[in-house]
Amino acid sequence: MSSNAAVAEHHHVGPGEPPHIHHMDTPTAYGAAKLGMWLFLATEVLLFAVMFCSFAIMRYYHLAEFHDASHHLNLPLGALNTVILLFSSYTAAVAVTKAQKGDNKGVIRNFGISVLCGLAFLVIKSIEYTGKAHHGMFPVVWNEHFYEYKNFLGLYYCMTGLHALHVIIGMVIMVIYGILPARQNRYSGRYYTPVELSALYWHLVDLIWIYLFPLLYLVG
Amino acid sequence: MLGLLGEQGSDFAHKVDYAHDVVTIISVVCTVLIVGVMLYFAVIYRQKDGKDHPTPHIHGNNALEVIWTTFPTLVCIWVAWLGYDSFVDMRTVPEGAMEINVTGRKWAWDFQYKNGKRTTGELVVPVDEPIKLVMTSKDVLHSFFVPVMRTKMDVIPGRYTYEWFKPITTGDFQVFCTEYCGNDHSRMLARLKVLPRAEFDRWLADDSEAKKLASLKPSDRGKELYVAKQCVTCHSLDGSPRVGPTWLKIFGREGKLADGTSYKADENYIRESILYPQAKVVANYPAQGMPSYQGQLSDDDITGIIEFMKTIDGTTKVELSQPTVKKQPAAAGATPAERGKALVNAPDNLCATCHSIDGSKLVGPSFKGLWGRKEKMSDGTEINVDADYIKESIYKPQAKIVEGYGPVMPAMYEGKLSEQDVNDIIEYLKTLS
Amino acid sequence: MAAHASSSAAGHEELNYLNWKTGIWSWLSSTDHKRIFFLYLSSIMVFFILGGIAALIMRTELATAGPTIPSIVKDSHTYNVFFTMHGVFMIFLFVVPGIPATIGNFLIPLMIGAKDVAFPRLNLFSYYLYVIGALIGGVAMLNPVDTGWTFYAPYSTTTSSNVSLMVFAAFVLGFSSILTGLNFIVTIHQLRAPGLTWMRLPVFIWASYATAIIQTVATPVVGMTLLLIIAERAFGAGIFDPTKGGDPVLMEHLFWFYSHPVVYIMVLPAFGVVGEILPVFSRKPLFGYKMVVISSMAIAAVGFIVWAHHMFVAGISDFSAKFFSVVTFLVAIPTAIKVFNWVSTMYKGSISFKTPMLYAMGFVFLFMVAGTTGMYLAMLGVDVYYHDTYFVVAHFHYTIQGGAVIGLMAALHMWFPKMSGKMYNETVSKTAFAMLFIGFNLTFIPQFILGMEGMPRRYYDYPVQYQTLHTISTIGAYLNGFGYTFALVNLLWTAKFGKVKAPRNPYNSTGLEWQTASPPIHENFETIPVVTEDPYNYGVHKHA
Repeated sequence: MSSNAAVAEHHHVGPGEPPHIHHMDTPTAYGAAKLGMWLFLATEVLLFAVMFCSFAIMRYYHLAEFHDASHHLNLPLGALNTVILLFSSYTAAVAVTKAQKGDNKGVIRNFGISVLCGLAFLVIKSIEYTGKAHHGMFPVVWNEHFYEYKNFLGLYYCMTGLHALHVIIGMVIMVIYGILPARQNRYSGRYYTPVELSALYWHLVDLIWIYLFPLLYLVG
Repeated sequence: MLGLLGEQGSDFAHKVDYAHDVVTIISVVCTVLIVGVMLYFAVIYRQKDGKDHPTPHIHGNNALEVIWTTFPTLVCIWVAWLGYDSFVDMRTVPEGAMEINVTGRKWAWDFQYKNGKRTTGELVVPVDEPIKLVMTSKDVLHSFFVPVMRTKMDVIPGRYTYEWFKPITTGDFQVFCTEYCGNDHSRMLARLKVLPRAEFDRWLADDSEAKKLASLKPSDRGKELYVAKQCVTCHSLDGSPRVGPTWLKIFGREGKLADGTSYKADENYIRESILYPQAKVVANYPAQGMPSYQGQLSDDDITGIIEFMKTIDGTTKVELSQPTVKKQPAAAGATPAERGKALVNAPDNLCATCHSIDGSKLVGPSFKGLWGRKEKMSDGTEINVDADYIKESIYKPQAKIVEGYGPVMPAMYEGKLSEQDVNDIIEYLKTLS
Repeated sequence: MAAHASSSAAGHEELNYLNWKTGIWSWLSSTDHKRIFFLYLSSIMVFFILGGIAALIMRTELATAGPTIPSIVKDSHTYNVFFTMHGVFMIFLFVVPGIPATIGNFLIPLMIGAKDVAFPRLNLFSYYLYVIGALIGGVAMLNPVDTGWTFYAPYSTTTSSNVSLMVFAAFVLGFSSILTGLNFIVTIHQLRAPGLTWMRLPVFIWASYATAIIQTVATPVVGMTLLLIIAERAFGAGIFDPTKGGDPVLMEHLFWFYSHPVVYIMVLPAFGVVGEILPVFSRKPLFGYKMVVISSMAIAAVGFIVWAHHMFVAGISDFSAKFFSVVTFLVAIPTAIKVFNWVSTMYKGSISFKTPMLYAMGFVFLFMVAGTTGMYLAMLGVDVYYHDTYFVVAHFHYTIQGGAVIGLMAALHMWFPKMSGKMYNETVSKTAFAMLFIGFNLTFIPQFILGMEGMPRRYYDYPVQYQTLHTISTIGAYLNGFGYTFALVNLLWTAKFGKVKAPRNPYNSTGLEWQTASPPIHENFETIPVVTEDPYNYGVHKHA
């Protein structure tokens, strides 16, 4: 292999061809990317696990307060958000199939829907936040009346806030690694790794919400 | 056996020390063996004259692997059991233990007894009786560590933790805060004072000091503390020289410090000097002369003392009530040496504050090996430590000063210790040679 | 292994990874794992020096009871800042990235016969995350943090210093560590040379693999915990602060869930280094290779369930204390197995005492002390006495300095010819080793005794009866620091001015990394090697 093979990875590659990676062959690169992504998802799960643990322990200390506080959350909006995310996860999965078939338009369409769903999720989330702020249940505008809900709401904002950040990151990933390359017909049956990995990440975002929703809105 | 952890003050201390001894012996033997074998191999299998010699191709040995997996496992089980066993004792509080509430705060320890009596920086307990400390913190994490009792527990805001011990010997012991708690973590100390039961009961019932202090106006409170906290020993009110600077017209006084800079005795300087006596020492006074009152005085106490200082004008007098009832620290029939030991260890005699019995150098010379020693005096003469010298040193401490020490011992024992007491102390000192 | 020791006559301008591209930018933007190793090494050394200076200032202050150097350490607060700085710099910025990100980066691709790590650009990104974290940490020290490196709540949630910024720095550094670990796991899984099966991997690779798993799995936990501290400080989330209904002990649990395994992040690679050095200089296969491998993985696994042994007196239930004491002893067993196998490797060997070998043997002694004193701290009743005393300080330094840092020094001396292409002066490096080894023991043996006498840690001042031991410890610390300076200056000088060129394989090792040029070419190997034998194939086969 020539000694200047370090030059970037996407040059001189025709549409639908896997990129030339100087230090490993294509199947290895695919395996490496996939393993790397799964490991990364594991770290994300652990990141949230800390908050789930904290939630469990705080709930044990403040059972009654948690119960009452959870009733102040907007259940219909939360449920709507759950449906939206589940649906977006479905379209993300479809996008992978489309990519494997070389249907770049299908990738754009399905990831596009997922991104829009993510946007809708964020809008609804911010409506919820604003409502809370209006009632004085938000960090800067604490109403002393709700002081005993502080532990619940503190965790609520930490968990949903971090999750919302992940939604944003997921949307950015789907645009950059899914939609934009697909517009240049980048994907084919021989090369679709970024689409698959973006979808994997989006599934994780969805999965975390699947746990957050019942925990915060239903169980309390 | 090995006694590595020092004096044992509680009834479970010997169990901890036993576990400690066992693991120490195991550790030393294992380390010496393994490192010894390594060094042995290194010597006998070294390359001679820098030349490589043929070596066998050995991959390993299953029997050996089994042995050196099993052996450490067995050792670990044994050692874990010993640790477990001593731990169970220190977590199982006997029925009827005496409860004392402990509150940690930045940076002092407060104690409250069942009858409402409060102290700060000084935990007084009776000997031979289980004591349970119920502890919480006002601010951040602290940890209550009594080395001699072998016990320690974190003190946590918003919840209660406990520890217990049963003192088996009387005396004064050190308490440390061992959980980092901010600026003055290292000064968050306290004393544990273990008294005979009768003496403890008298102490516990005596609420005169607290009652009196609470009802006084600040300057009178300061005046009381001036006597009660032994300030009087070193600081005069009439301008006469003692170990420390006189308090006559002390407030607002200006002068030079030992390091050449100048000071003005305002509220903040006085407060600092009470809490951190070594921070700014006035020139020509001993640097290590004064103990810190950190943790022994509340903010109100310090304010009181400052207010009292403002009133001192040369006519101020205090009642120096010498203890009229002579305490009998040791049981009847004890030998003179035992009585002497009790006197030396009696908290209000303060001997142990400055004189060690293990040879270490504190403010004053150690008692260890003192008897019969030749001491060089600060005026160059040499003196044989005999009964007369000791008697003189106790009653008139400034008469002869051992070289290398300051003239800081208070002259407070005349009338406090009888001739008989001093003789007993001398008998005790003889046993330390 | 693919044995061809063709010591080709070194031409004048033979291209290698050091000179195939020049200019500062070619270094700062390089995705070559060997150049990233250099970036990491130079960065962590900055913090080793800063942390070391903080340590020496602390030791000087502690040399006598009462204020010793009031011009530098003007009060207890300053002292507290210095020990926080020492802890944060040494742990987060020096030892954690210490062996994995430096030696690991250099060796892993070389040892498995790969051209680079799996994700070279991610590798560079990790480095810049480290730099960003370091810069944030530096900015945080402008209003110096005084919490200690443990950031215990509620002190950390209430003190006025820059805690939020500092824990954010630690969070970013954690991210750097996660990505490095992830990269190494994938590299070891995917990029092994043909014929290099799992049971033919050098033990350093196994150790790095175990380390990488811990990095990936444990670090997110502390990352989140640190973010929650920020949330607590920023808007009172009420998770750790008891005045808001939070639980400070929960914070300790979460913190130690990472910070105990992190000890293995630091020391497992050092085990690997020692396992590499002993066979080469004994000319023998590593004794009980399989058990050494298994014990590495066992330590990584058990390391996750022992965290609360840091909390025996923290107010956890007696039942948990008992549970965590028992499982802690489980760590002792694989550790003991390793030591036995190392020593047995020397049996009937042909031992030469090059500097790396001295470091490895020193390591065995220091780690025996660290391990056996660890038993004291795993024993419940004894730990109650020792918790937060100087005994813990001494034990900890025997594992981290005696383990990880000595391991790093051993590795630097072992692979220096490969890294720089030059040979250093053995007399100088051995003298330096002797100095730092003696200095180290002189520093910390007195601290064991101080611990026995009950001296608590993190004390700015202490009762006068502890003074003699403190003074000895301070003298040792200076000797120790001087030894390190001497050793590192020797390497630095050799790298820059050294005249003696290193051959491909100066120690006649069978490792793959020695089969390429010294220093290696840009993509490591002229041709990817094919592995046909077990590692450490030294000595005469009986049935050959």
